[in-house]
Parts: sequence; C-alpha cells; structure tokens
Amino acid sequence: MSRFFAVRFSIRCAVMSVALAVQACGGNKPAPPKACDAACQDDIALRGIREMMKLAYNFTVQGKPVGAQDATMPCLPTGSVRVSGQASSNSKQGTTTVDLSYDFKACAYTAAIDATPEQNYSLALTGTVAEQGTLAVQPSTNTVIQLQSDDLTVSGTVYQPTVDYDAADCALAATQDGNSVSGTLCGRTVSFVF
Amino acid sequence: MRAPLPNPALPVGRVLLRVLLVGALLLAGVLGARSAGAQATPSAGAAARETIAPKPISDLTVPYPEGASGDALVVLTLTVARDGSVREAVANSVNEPFSSRAIAVALTWHFEPATRGGVAVPVKIRFEVEFHQPEAPAPEVVEPEAAEPAAAVRTPAAAPKVTPKAVEIRVRGVKVEPSRTVSLSRAEVRQIPGTFGDPFRALEIMPGVTPIISGLPFFFVRGAPPGDVGYFLDGVRVPLLFHVGVGPSVIHPALIDRVDLYPGGYPARFGRFSGGIVSGETVPPAADLHGEYNVRLFDAGALIEAPFDEHRGTVLLAGRYSYTAALLSLLSSTTELDYWDYQARISYQLTPKDTASVFAFGSYDYLGERTSTQTLTLFGTEFHRVDARYDHSLGSDGTLRLAVTAGLDRSRLPDDRFVRDRLLGTRSELSLRLSPDLLLRVGSDVELDAYDVQLNLGQLGPAAQSAASLFPTRSDLATGTRADIVISLGERLQLIPGVRVDYYTSNGQSAVGVDPRFSTRLEMTRQLRFLTAFGIAHQAPAFVVPLPGFQPGGLRGGLQTAVQQSAGFEYDFGDATTATATAFHNGFFNMSDPLGTTQTCPVSFANDSLAGDIGERLPSQRSGSCGTRFQAGVAGPDRSGGGGLGADGGGGNRASALAVRTNGASYGLEFFLKRRLTSRIGGFISYTLSRSVRTIGNQQFVATFDRTHVANAAIAYNLGRNWRAGTRVTFYTGLPKTPDPSDPSSTRLPPFFRADLRLEKRWQLTPRAYLSFIAEWMNATLSKEAVSTTCNVQGCQTQTIGPVTIPSLGIEGGF
Repeated sequence: MSRFFAVRFSIRCAVMSVALAVQACGGNKPAPPKACDAACQDDIALRGIREMMKLAYNFTVQGKPVGAQDATMPCLPTGSVRVSGQASSNSKQGTTTVDLSYDFKACAYTAAIDATPEQNYSLALTGTVAEQGTLAVQPSTNTVIQLQSDDLTVSGTVYQPTVDYDAADCALAATQDGNSVSGTLCGRTVSFVF
Repeated sequence: MRAPLPNPALPVGRVLLRVLLVGALLLAGVLGARSAGAQATPSAGAAARETIAPKPISDLTVPYPEGASGDALVVLTLTVARDGSVREAVANSVNEPFSSRAIAVALTWHFEPATRGGVAVPVKIRFEVEFHQPEAPAPEVVEPEAAEPAAAVRTPAAAPKVTPKAVEIRVRGVKVEPSRTVSLSRAEVRQIPGTFGDPFRALEIMPGVTPIISGLPFFFVRGAPPGDVGYFLDGVRVPLLFHVGVGPSVIHPALIDRVDLYPGGYPARFGRFSGGIVSGETVPPAADLHGEYNVRLFDAGALIEAPFDEHRGTVLLAGRYSYTAALLSLLSSTTELDYWDYQARISYQLTPKDTASVFAFGSYDYLGERTSTQTLTLFGTEFHRVDARYDHSLGSDGTLRLAVTAGLDRSRLPDDRFVRDRLLGTRSELSLRLSPDLLLRVGSDVELDAYDVQLNLGQLGPAAQSAASLFPTRSDLATGTRADIVISLGERLQLIPGVRVDYYTSNGQSAVGVDPRFSTRLEMTRQLRFLTAFGIAHQAPAFVVPLPGFQPGGLRGGLQTAVQQSAGFEYDFGDATTATATAFHNGFFNMSDPLGTTQTCPVSFANDSLAGDIGERLPSQRSGSCGTRFQAGVAGPDRSGGGGLGADGGGGNRASALAVRTNGASYGLEFFLKRRLTSRIGGFISYTLSRSVRTIGNQQFVATFDRTHVANAAIAYNLGRNWRAGTRVTFYTGLPKTPDPSDPSSTRLPPFFRADLRLEKRWQLTPRAYLSFIAEWMNATLSKEAVSTTCNVQGCQTQTIGPVTIPSLGIEGGF
C-alpha cells in the first residue's frame, strides 16, 4: 500500500525514473539467482514474522485510542491473529509505546512478489509473540522494540525461487533497532533489515 | 500543387523566386468562423457578404539570402490587416536562413485588403516562397512569377480543383481572444532550448505558469493547481499530456499547429476546469504528400500525410516509440521503462461544404521492475481517443461541427490495482455570423464516464482505504451548454459576453455550475491594445495531477469554484516584437488542492525529543495538526522500513489532504516580451510576479508551491550557413520554507536557476526536403533544486532533487 501511494504521490520517483533513463546509470546484466542456505531461510522467516506483526498491528491497533488494546483480525487466506495489551503515544514526537501480545492461530500471509529474492515468502504462524518497546514514525526517533516467544511455529515457503521452510515449537528472541532486526530463532542467529 | 502566377516584373539575375498565394488561412485564434467563400454557392444573404481575397499591391520580391546555398521552399502564413498591411508573417516550418528572409520581406508587403460584404476584414493567407540558388554569384534579387496571387488562393487540401475564383478563406471575425495570454506556433517552439521541439513543453515558459519542479511538466497556472488545468486537443480533452511524467508530449510535435494558454476568463467553449486551459490545435489537412521524422537518443517518431481521391481527402499517420526499455535492459537488470503514442487522422470532403473526419490518438506508458520470473508493474498509464467529426460550412456565415468521441483511460498500480474509465461523448459547435459586427458561438456537449476501479481495499490500511474510497466504481455524467457573442463596436472595441451551464452527476450526487464570462479588447492605437477578461469557472473535485482515470467520484465536497479576472496591455514593437503586461487576480473557493495546501508548520524542539521531517507534514482541516505526526490520543502506525503493510503516516495525512477543501487567492503581474523566434535573432523574456495563498478555517498561509518570481529568457540566433544556436535560462524563487529555529530569517528555500542549450545544423536537400542535426541539453548547468527541509536538533537541512538533466542528440528530417 505504501508503495501504491508512494508511486502516486512521489514526483521524485517519476523524476528519478526518467533521469535514470537518460543518464545511463545502472548495473550489469542480471546474475543468476543465488542459492538460499539455511541461514538465509531463517533470516527470511524472521522478516516474515516481523512483517506479519507489523501488518496485524497496523490493522488492529493503529489509529485506535491509546490505552488497553484487544482486537482480532482474520488472516488471508487462513487463520487469525489477536493483538492485545497496552499502547500509549506521543503524537508530537511520533512515538507509540507498546506492550502487546500477538496470538497467531495458523495465520497465513504471502508477501507481495518482490524483485529481491530475500523479500519473498509465504508463511503461516502459530504461537504467541510479545512486543515491548517504542514504535517511532522514523526518522524523527528510533524504533526500539523487543520480540519474545517461547513456542512459535513457522511453516511455508521462503525466497524466490521458493524454498520450503518449517520451524516448529521455536523460541524467538529478537530486537529491532531502527530498521535492523536481529536475534535468535530456534537458537540460530537471525537478522534482516527492513 | 502550386498554381503559377503571372509575372509582374522580372527579376534581376537568374535567381528565381516563385511566390505563390496558395491557400487560405487560419485564424490564429479564435474564431472558428470559417467560410468557404467562393467554393460555396452563396445565398442571397451570403452573396451580400461575399468574401474577396486580398490582392497584392506591392512588389513581391524576396532576395536570396546571403551565405545560403541550395534551393528551398518556405510556406508562410500571413495575417493581412484591414489596412492591407501584413500584421504577422509566420513560417510554417523553420528553414533558415530562408525562413527569416521570407518573413522579413513579407512583413513589408501591402495588399488591397480582403473584404466581406464590401467591408475590409483581416484575413490570413498562405504563401509559398520558393528559393532557387543563383547560378551566378552576382544577382541577389529574385522576383515572383506571379501577378495575381488571389487567383491562386485555394484550399490546401483541394488544390487540383482550384480555379481563379476558388477562394477559401477564414475571416478574422474575432481577434486574438483577450483571455489568451500566449500562443506559440510549432515553428517558434522548435527554437526554444529545453522543449525538445515540443509545443506543449513550451508551456513552462509562459507567464503565469509555475512549475512544480523544474523539468516536470505539471504546472500551477495563476495559482491554480495542476489538477485544475485542462488540456485539450482540437476540443477533445487529453487526460495525460506527457510521457512518464517528464518525457515528451503524447502528441507528435509535427501534428501541432499551435498551443494556446488561457489562464483565466477563458472563452465559454472551455469549461469544467477552474484553473486554466491549455488548448492545442492540430495542423489542417495538407494538399501535398509530406512527412517528418526524428530519431533521438531515447525515442524515434514519424509523421506522414498524403492526399487521396484527387485531394478530396487526406490521411495522416504519426507516432513515436521509446526504446528506453531496450537501452535500460543493457544498463539495469531490474528496471523497465516503455512508452509509445500514435495519432491517425482521415479527412474527406464530402461536398464543398461538408467534411467528415476521424481523429484517433493515444498513449501508453509503463514503468516496471523485473524479477527472475516476471515484471512487476510500478506504474502504468494509457489512454485512447477516437473523435469522429462532421463539419458543415455555412459559407461566410459560419460553421457547424458535430462530433462523437469515444475513449479509454487506464492507470495501473502495483499489485494488480488499476483505475479504468471508458467514456463516450458528443459535442456540437456552431459559429454563426449574424452581421458583420456580431458573431454568435454556441455549443453543447455530453460526456459519460464509466469508471471501473480495482484498488483491493481489503489489503489497505485505514488511511489508504480512506483515500482509495474517493475513487469508487461508478458512472459519471457531465453535460453542458454554452454561448457567447462577439460584438464589434466600430473598428476598435470588441466585447465578448458569454455564459456556460454545466450539470454534473457522479455516484448519485449532482451539481450545477453556471459560469458567466466576459472579455473585452480595445485597440487604443494600431500598436497598443487593452485587454480584459473575467470569468467564473466550476470544476468537479480533482486529483493531485492529471492522470488517466483518476477522477474522484461522488462530487464529495461539491464543485470547485474560481473567479478569474485580468487586465493588461499588448503592444507591438515593429513587425516581429510584441510585449504584454497583465495584472490578474483569481479567487478560489472550495478548491481541492493537496499540493498547494502543504502547510509549513513552526518548529519547536522539545528538550527531550528530536524534531522530525517537517517537510513531510500536511495540514488537515484542524488547525491543531501542526507539529503532530499523527492524530493525538491514538496509537501511531508501525512504519518500520518506511511504511507499507497498512501503515498510515505520510499516506494518512495525504489521504486527508485529498479530501480537504480550501479557499485561496492568487494575484500578480505578468510580463511577456517576444521577438519572433524564427527571426534571425529571436527570443523572449517571460516574467511573473505573484503571490498565492490558501485558507483553511481561520488559517491563511502561503501556498506550498508559491514562487514570488518566475522568469524565463531565451535567445535564438542564426549563425549563418544553416547553423542556428539558442540558449534559455530559467530562474524562480524557492518554495516557502518551514521556519527554522537556527535561521529564523530564512523563509524560502534557495532559488533555482538552470540554463538550456540548443544547436542545430540543417541541410536543405531539395526545395522541400531537409535534414537537421540537433543537439539539445536541458539543464546544462546541472542545477539541483531544493524541495524541502529536514530538521533535527542541530538545525534544518535543505533536501534537493536532481540534477534533472536531459541531454539529447538527434536528427530530424522532413519533405
């Protein structure tokens, strides 16, 4: 959606696209796609978890009055997610402090096809993830949040071309600082950058 | 194709000049009043108003230009005034130094003026001046073969049927309309650096026009936002004028005869746009087989027109194709950029009074991102129009046009989202001369638009859904009727009162707009004219910029209204130089202007916080929104990574900006000085001093894209030996700036300056065929433009864009 509006509203985008066309700056011939090893797959899974939380937050908590939160949304094509807890905000700073719990029940989501292979996934989540910290409308202030789960199941496909992925009953401990997310999933080190 | 003329007095030497009065004219401007004088069987009334073509009474000789070589043919359109003088001479194409020489000499010619009903009237006539290279160096004076040019006047598309009496002319029943500030012919535009020979791109040099960003062809016109400016081609609305936002126009330049700007108080025939009108006119059908072609670094185009059935009909084909996609594939593996356009016109003269024609044109743009398996659409637009027309001549009394237009507009967005509009419209236009001093113009039109919108609302966040809901699937109907009358009071004063009424329906809502118009023209002296224009204009809510299919539905918030008024002087300095000075004031009410209402908020840095990017802030109807990044008292968005996944933020604010309505005003002075660019030394200076403000509730603020000073200047010079060079400079004031705590005195972003260059070498291959090499560079100074500021506790930093620069090498040819 943001891409939808970004393109519509961004004059800069149009200008730069033509500047690109006439200025002959660019890269080389496309290289064959790289293989995605286990670490690469875990990183994509972490991206999927975080983006599904972001999606759930924006559809259930964003724009709601501050205070106690409790809302459930259906996932497409299957499953649901319940978001509950507390949220407070400072609109001048552009920050929202959250202490939320995301309860995923076979919640499925497929990322929009992206030209970057590492940003493609189709996953389903089951389990509960806790989110604590501050979400900021960057770049004014930094987002700093902690993600924690004791029992999270992630299954589906990652990467482009797709690779099957399955991680059952895993612990998640990760931190987002700005746009960087890193930590452990199933005891393995994982990270990605938005 | 050319009728020989008697030779009055023979020339000196062997250099041959044939001056042929070949056809009649166009009235630059306005009228529409066409008469097929001698071809029509005149009624008794018409006979009394029979039109007699002008006859030359001066020596029609044109010296062969010094330093030139080869043969050449120059086609001139001459405006012969009531006193028989040549008020204006314009070369239909540039062929230096021959064009300049022919123009300069033609401006000295005198005629017995054309008459209608015994009354002298101004007319336009078309001349061909044929130069032949001298066989010996001595003689430099050439002469016409002709003695009686009037005998050779003909319809351009009906040459073989010409008889000495077969005169068809368009009488200048109305002079240049007072509300039209600038008109540029294609021949002139070709000489303006930075326009790439494109008449529509020359809009940016016109007074009263303020660009959003340098090189980006979306304009504020006298303070009105880009979405409120209507673009028309032969009376047909054009939804998108330029390829990929900053590219060439979607119409082949050779098809455009001229482009007129009506910034306010425009004629009643223009409606449903409250900010200004840009009207292009296509060249009339030509009698001869002719064509043009061009090949540039990033695209190629061609136009060809040919007569058929003994010149009763003509068929024209034109188009352009961009090979940037192929080029980019060599340079970038992931970007795909593609565009093309086409135009086709077939015209057939059913009888001397009746002509049927079909004009089709369209455009396609695509910007995509390649993946290993497919190409993802980032943005795509296309539109197609088919306009079928029937024209009936009422002799010298006027003309009638009936037309039906069908069209398709479509814009594509990522994730298979699209907006599509299928439209069908009809229009009628009657121009009827009631007496030598009264010209009545009436018309009506109906347009039905069926919008099919697929934006996948379920996948959008709340703010995005709110914005997308402005564009529902529905059917819109708009119909209007209008009339104005041109009243000539004596030789010097002309009054044009008029009115149009439009009825709008959309998604169950309806509205009526009543738009009175009134303009005057007073010829104070032969050189000096005083012009005024007043008008009220209504428009349905508009999108940020014109895009195919992006028309907000439901008339939410009601019609926009503008009250436009201007007054100014126009002065002719000699034959080729004209100056205008105009004062204007526009009042805007209930305006939808997301761009212009980006309010700059004061900054205050809390001790324990960091300020954000204030350049991103937009106002809502609430005065308390300044300084907040989302609505107070609610949970903000999770915009990690910049948004998406339903996150509000900039999009949320922009969604409300789309719906917000404002009042406003703009006022200022415009100055335009032009020496015909096709002259040996030509150029122009365009300057606008203005202020544009917006009001939301009790808040009044300077509009986001207000620029106090906007200046353009260009010079084109004939270097000799068919070399022509030109340069153009552009300067304008920076945009309003958010108050900066670290620099309280600074209220504007830095100003912008750029220079464009153009160099052309032409080879005349035959009298009609030529080949040119053209090097052109828009923004040769590689200037960057300041667009916003970003602040933190250390202070504010200016954000720039660019340099947006377009170098171009290419060849052009024609025959």
